Amino acid sequence: MSKITVPIGPQHPLLKEPLAFSLTLEGEHVIESAMRLGYVHRGLERLSQERTYVQNVHLFERVCGICSHIHSTTFCQGVEALSGLEVPPRGLYLRALLCELERIHSHLLWLGVQARNIGFDTIFMYAWRDREIILDIMEDLSGGRVSHAVNIIGGVRIDLTPEHRDVILGQLDTLETQIEALLGVVENESSFQGRTRNIGTLSLEQIRRYCVVGPVARASGLDMDLRRDMPYPPYDQLKFRVPVRYEGDAWARTLVRMLEMVESVHLCRQILTTLPDGPTSARAKRRVPPGEVVSRAEAPRGEVIYYIRSDGSDKPARVKVRTPTLTNLITLPDQLQNISMADVSVVISGVDLCIACADR
Amino acid sequence: MSRLLTQIYLFEEIFAALQDAFPDEEFSVEDKPMDDTFLTLAPDRVRPVVELLMEQFDIYHLSTITGDDVGDGVRLLYHFWSGYGITLSILLPYDDLRIPTLTDLIPGAAFYEREVQEMLGVTFEGLETPGPMFLPDDWEEGDGPVRFPLRRNADEKG
Repeated sequence: MSKITVPIGPQHPLLKEPLAFSLTLEGEHVIESAMRLGYVHRGLERLSQERTYVQNVHLFERVCGICSHIHSTTFCQGVEALSGLEVPPRGLYLRALLCELERIHSHLLWLGVQARNIGFDTIFMYAWRDREIILDIMEDLSGGRVSHAVNIIGGVRIDLTPEHRDVILGQLDTLETQIEALLGVVENESSFQGRTRNIGTLSLEQIRRYCVVGPVARASGLDMDLRRDMPYPPYDQLKFRVPVRYEGDAWARTLVRMLEMVESVHLCRQILTTLPDGPTSARAKRRVPPGEVVSRAEAPRGEVIYYIRSDGSDKPARVKVRTPTLTNLITLPDQLQNISMADVSVVISGVDLCIACADR
Repeated sequence: MSRLLTQIYLFEEIFAALQDAFPDEEFSVEDKPMDDTFLTLAPDRVRPVVELLMEQFDIYHLSTITGDDVGDGVRLLYHFWSGYGITLSILLPYDDLRIPTLTDLIPGAAFYEREVQEMLGVTFEGLETPGPMFLPDDWEEGDGPVRFPLRRNADEKG
């Protein structure tokens, strides 16, 4: 049978961000694939060396357009550790509240994209409708729907009144009901399972070889979550479960993310009801003492890591950012091998791509 | 505890094993904030040390590789994780920016090595590079100042 090469991207209706694939097909099946990144490479690591630490908080919030808050959190966490700055507990709790809201927001957005790619537009509509609840909560808290600019070095700039807290608790109840309804559909609906089961399967061995992180790894049985395994405050004070599945296919990835959303709603409620009193931030010095630090956190897509080196001035000497998408992308050639062309979209969106993150 | 690892070893155990395996090597160890330990090595020690970490201690999760132009050479940091951070630090002199690849041991290292190669001009011997990864296809060839964007001299006009 003759081979044909099909280009997908950099601009393609399947991809929400620019990324280029070149798939070689034999009949209906993919036998080879190649990938090209770099279409949204903005040189943020270099740019950060020209900006002060305060400016960099806002710069790194723009690494990602979905999980923006976790990036500034990881950066601030690192700078605070370098400066020996103690963040007040209330500041840490509010930070974590935004992190968990963002996790739900990111997973709901992804569920919509995935449902759209498999042709299940009803889930897409409902998932994005429910995502509005989260965006409303975040807008009320910070003034921004996606870029919150909540983090400052030393804490957060927002605070919460008891009345506002009750409103959010009410909104979370509505959200939980909706997420559970969606979870029921994903678990039981045969057409959804037909398009996702045994597709893009990754074994635990492959996950370990490629150092994969986040829900993709947890759907293949790798029980790793930095919130629990390397608990950064305030997660050492909070109780939650880490959902793990062993199937390793696109369906398991969906389920893991759905169950994580349920856990995140519980976490938000826990944070709101146990929110400590006191100030929300500590005063930070403009200059950071010389030293280096590796800051890690669990983003919606998995482990995000920042390496920060300070030379004692008010600007970092080097900041290295590694986002979870870059790690998870490397599994795509394996996942695409020998699948039908019709399943390519399910596999590609199954790893939850964020190309702006991967390119930086 | 995480099922990522069957057992989490203390850093002291790992360090003792390293000293047994390489008795004539002087490792310098530095504790960093946020649960990370930096271990400074000679460039030719990286592969044997990583092999030992993987075989004896089941440490296989390479979070990333940082390349950093520190003025007297390019420093490479291999950030490993196994319940806490272990970072291998190597300084490569400017006149010999070469190091063997780890991709045959850890296939997941490919993207990180390609990034460092592209941005800082470190050659990873044995690494397959099917074209550029982040930089444009027509990025400046040769050894001009902007050839490697994260080098210190990258701003100088060549």
